[in-house]
Amino acid sequence: MPTKTVFKTEIEYVSILDEHGQYDPKLGDGLVPDEDLIRLYEHMTACRHLDEVAFKLQRSGRMGTYPQNMGQEATSLGAAYALEKTDWMVPCYRENAGLFWRGMPMEMVLLHWMGDERGNAIPRELFCTPLAIPIGTQMLHAAGLAWAAKYRDEKRIACTFFGDGATSEGDFHEAMNFSANLDLPVVFLCQNNFWAISVPGRIQCSAPTLAQRGLAYGMDCIQCDGNDLFAVVKVVREAARRAREENRPTFIEAVTYRLGDHTTADDARRYRDQAEVDLWKARDPLIRLRGFMKEKGLWNDSKEAELQEKAEREVAEAVQRAEGIETPPSTDVFDHTFAELDPQLTLQRATRRTTSIGQSPDAAAPAPAVDGH
Amino acid sequence: MSVKQPADQSAFILPDLGEGVHEAELIKWRVAPGDTVKEHQILAEMETDKALVEVPSPWSGKIRELHGKEGEILNVGNVLVSYDVGGKGAAKPAPAKSVEASGAGESKADGADEDAGTVVGTMSGELSVSSRFARRPEAEPAQSSRKALATPAVRRIARELGVDIDRVSATGRGGRVTASDVQAAASGAAVATAHAGNGVASMPAARPVAVERPAIDGEGTTERIPFRGVRRKIAQALDLSVKTAVHFTVVEEADVTALLAKRSEYARVLGRKLSLLPFAMFAVCRALVKHPELNAIVDDAGEAILRKGPVNLGCAVDTEHGLMVPVIRNAQTLGPVELADQVKSLADACRGRSIEREHLVGGTFTVSNVGSHGGMFATPIINYPEVAILGLGRSREKVLVKDGRFYAGSVLPMSLSCDHRVVDGAAGAAFLGTVVRLLESPEELLGG
Repeated sequence: MPTKTVFKTEIEYVSILDEHGQYDPKLGDGLVPDEDLIRLYEHMTACRHLDEVAFKLQRSGRMGTYPQNMGQEATSLGAAYALEKTDWMVPCYRENAGLFWRGMPMEMVLLHWMGDERGNAIPRELFCTPLAIPIGTQMLHAAGLAWAAKYRDEKRIACTFFGDGATSEGDFHEAMNFSANLDLPVVFLCQNNFWAISVPGRIQCSAPTLAQRGLAYGMDCIQCDGNDLFAVVKVVREAARRAREENRPTFIEAVTYRLGDHTTADDARRYRDQAEVDLWKARDPLIRLRGFMKEKGLWNDSKEAELQEKAEREVAEAVQRAEGIETPPSTDVFDHTFAELDPQLTLQRATRRTTSIGQSPDAAAPAPAVDGH
Repeated sequence: MSVKQPADQSAFILPDLGEGVHEAELIKWRVAPGDTVKEHQILAEMETDKALVEVPSPWSGKIRELHGKEGEILNVGNVLVSYDVGGKGAAKPAPAKSVEASGAGESKADGADEDAGTVVGTMSGELSVSSRFARRPEAEPAQSSRKALATPAVRRIARELGVDIDRVSATGRGGRVTASDVQAAASGAAVATAHAGNGVASMPAARPVAVERPAIDGEGTTERIPFRGVRRKIAQALDLSVKTAVHFTVVEEADVTALLAKRSEYARVLGRKLSLLPFAMFAVCRALVKHPELNAIVDDAGEAILRKGPVNLGCAVDTEHGLMVPVIRNAQTLGPVELADQVKSLADACRGRSIEREHLVGGTFTVSNVGSHGGMFATPIINYPEVAILGLGRSREKVLVKDGRFYAGSVLPMSLSCDHRVVDGAAGAAFLGTVVRLLESPEELLGG
C-alpha cells in the first residue's frame, strides 16, 4: 500500500516595513492613512514614556509592581487599530498602547498597578476587559465573550492577547479547541517576545513556530513581524474580517521582543544575553515607524521634540490623577469580585476579621464605615 | 508592599524594590548632600536578592542627608534620604535601625493586613537560589508585643498546638515565623509546662548572641575589596552549609592506571582530549544509584530527608567571579563522553555568565575538581541542602604494591564530605569504596 500525504501546510510570515526601513508598497497600500499613522506614532510614544515613568514610580515606592511594555507597542496598537471600537479587546498586561488607543485613560493602568481596584473598573463602552495577571486565564474569557456575541448576533468579535509562555498553559488549548470547534469569532493574538519570564521560547515549544500550534485545532494560523505596525494591522484586519463574516477564529503569532525586564521584580540581565537585547533594540517599533514617517516627509525633529514634551506632560498629569485619587476604604477588597457576598464574606467585610487566620469576628470592634488607612 | 512616604516630603523611606523584598544592599550613591534633584532622578544603585536596581527620587528637592554607606544592607522602611523642606528645618527623622520587615512605617490596626500572603506574580520558582541565600533578620524586632508575620498555614499549626504565634521567635525569610519555629516553641513550651506546672506557654525569645569580632588592623593594606555581590553570596551559602550540615570527610585513593589507558583509547578514537573528570563523574553516578542515601537533600524546615531518583550532578566550576556549581540533570543516563560535553558547555556558560538559572539549581550531589590546581586531599564543603560532595585531587604516578610486589601506577586521591546528620560513616565509606572499585575496574565501569 503506498503512503500518501493526508495533510500539508505552510505558515506564512508577513512583514511590510522591515527593520532596515524596507517597505512593501503593494502589501501596505491603503492600509493606514498618513494622518492615522501620525496619531498611532504619538500613542506609541506616550505609551513608551508612561513605561519609563511607571518603572520609576515602582522603584520609588509609589507603585506595587509594573511590567514594562517597551518594545512591544506595535503589536497591541496595530491590533487595536484594526479592530472595531465595539469589538472586545481581552488583554494580558503588555497591551497599554492598544488600550490607550481604545480610549482607556492612562491613570487606570497606573491605578491597577498601584493595587487600586478602580483601575479595573473599565468603562463598559470601551469593550476592554481588565488586565489579566494570571497567565492564560483571559483566552477563555475571550472565547466566552465571542460565543455570547455570536449567540446574540452582535457582529462583535473578541481579540485576545497573550504571550509565548501562555501557549504552554492548558487554558490556552481549551480556548483554542473550543473556539475552533464552535466556530467562534475570536482572534488569538500571541505576542511572542521569546521569554516567559526567564524561560526561553525554545524550551517551551519544540515546533519551529508557535503559529503552527493553531493547526492542531484546524484554525487559520499566521505569523507576522510584531514590531511592524503595518504587518500587524494587515493580519489582524484579515483575521477580524474572517471572524466577523465567517465565524472563524485565527491564531496569530506576532514576533516581537520585550526590551525591558519581565516586571520590576525581575532582572533580565541575569538570564539574557546583552547581544540579543542589542539586536532587538535595533528593531524597536518606534525607531522603525519614525524613520518611515521622516522618509515620507510626515515627521521631523521639531515635531519629535514637541511630541516628547507633550507625552511627558500627559504622563505627569496621569500620574497626578492616579496619585490624587482619594484613598479607598479597606472594605474595597470585597466590593469588586462578587455581585453578592456570601454570609462568610459579609461577616468579614463587616468586621474585617477572618477565622482563616485565627481571628475571631466576634472580638472585633465594629469597623468604621470609611477607613483612610 | 509599599511604604508610606511622609507627606511633607522631608524623607524618602526605602520602599520594597521588587515584590516582597525586605532589604537591599547599597551599592553606590549617585547624589550627595546639598544636591538639588528632580523627580525621577536616580539617587542610588541598590542590589536586592533579585536584581541590581536604580532608585529614583519620588519628588524634586534638595538632599540634606544620605542615610547609609555603600556596602551596607538597608531595611525597607528605613529612611534612605532626607530632604530640606522649605526652610522649616523639619525635625530630623530618626532612622530606625531595626524595623519589622513588613508593614514598616505604618501602624496597622488590622492584624490581618500584615498577613502578607502570596503576591500575584511572585516568581518563587525563580527565586529558589536567592531564598537559599536569604539573609536572616539581624535582630529581633525591638517591641515584644509585635504581631507575628506568618502564613495562614503556620498560624493554623500554632492554633492547633496552642502556641501564641506573636511570641514565637522567627527564623524565616523576612522575619516570618515558620512551621518549625512554631513546633520548636511548642516543644519548648511543653518542657516549660512540665517544669513550671502551669499552662502558660511563654517562650523566651532566642535572641542571637552578639559575636565579638576581633579588632581589624588596617595597617599594610594594599587593597580594600568590598565583600559583596557574588563573592558574598558564595560566602553566605558556605556559611549556611557549615552551620547547618554536620560535616565529616573520608579520603581514599583509587588506582586509575588501567582507566587512564582506557581514557587515552577513548581520546584517540574520538580524536579529542578527555580528562579523567567525566569518567569519575560517571563512576559517581553509578555508585549513587547503588547508594541512594547520598543522592538526597535535606529539607530542614520541613524536617525531612528527600532521597532523589535522578542524579542531578553538580560540578564545581571556577570562574573569575567565583565558584559556580552548574547542575547536569539526569546525569545517571549519560555516558562519560556526554558528561564531558555537558561539563564543557556548562562551564563555558558559567564563565561567559550566560548560564541559565535552571542550570544552577536542583543539584542532588556535587563533584568538585579540587585538584585541578594541585593538592591531594581536601575537606570539601557540602553544597547544602545536598548531603554529600566528592572532591577529586590530581592524579599522579606513585609506587604501588599489589600481591607483595611493587609496581608503578597512577592514583586519584578523593575526599568525600558528608552531612553526618543524614549519612553514617559506614555509608559514606561504602559509597567511596564503590567509586574506587568502579574506577579501578574500567571493564566493569565502561563495559568491555
